[in-house]
Amino acid sequence: MTDTSIPLREPAKAAFLAWLIPGLGHFYQGRTGKGWLYATCILGLYAVGFYLGSGKNVYWRWVSPFNSDKFMFHYVGQFFVGLPALPALIQATIEHFRPGANLLGGFMAEPPANVLNALLLRGKTYDIGLIYTTVAGLLNVLAIYDAYEGPAYGRGDETDPEAASEDQALAAQAGGATR
Amino acid sequence: MNDSSNIYWFLLPLVVAISLVYTASRYESWPVIWARSARLCLWSLAALIGTSAILLLVNTQS
Repeated sequence: MTDTSIPLREPAKAAFLAWLIPGLGHFYQGRTGKGWLYATCILGLYAVGFYLGSGKNVYWRWVSPFNSDKFMFHYVGQFFVGLPALPALIQATIEHFRPGANLLGGFMAEPPANVLNALLLRGKTYDIGLIYTTVAGLLNVLAIYDAYEGPAYGRGDETDPEAASEDQALAAQAGGATR
Repeated sequence: MNDSSNIYWFLLPLVVAISLVYTASRYESWPVIWARSARLCLWSLAALIGTSAILLLVNTQS
């Protein structure tokens, strides 16, 4: 690998944009190929997961993290998808200060227990949706890191010469052309 | 194979997406990204299928 001059335009701003919309930070840096890859994989996974959960699997409630029965662990992952998961945080904050406000018809608000039970009884799709949306957020952490810091390896600064030569061989084998 | 077995197909896009995003965050060269993500994807699927096979073998339930 010899591409040591990866343009990381304003890393902090790019990282924020990468959090806001997956792939946006890379578009901002001119790394459009990666932008499309991250946007397709992460937003695609999130959208399918949200659909599988009937739009009821992304929500947040303000409780102590030590209250493990009520704390929404999955939203900690989903949060990193950025803007698509942000309405849940806004809904929970409004609900916290003005209970029963029911903004936007309860979009991404905590669903009532009977609705959740009905979704869980319908089959595994709700759980699969939960996994998809949470994994999408966790994957975006990698994308945010990539926008801020550049790729972890493959910048020509590898310390493991064996891995570097293996990458060179792979690149040569696949044509060696970078997009 | 029954209807409930179909949920295992949901693993495939998950593994593909994880492989692609993980590898893209490691490398900048596209040929390396494609090759390594394909390899990671196959390894992950092999591990999942292997684990499922072992669990099926030791399964004592009908």
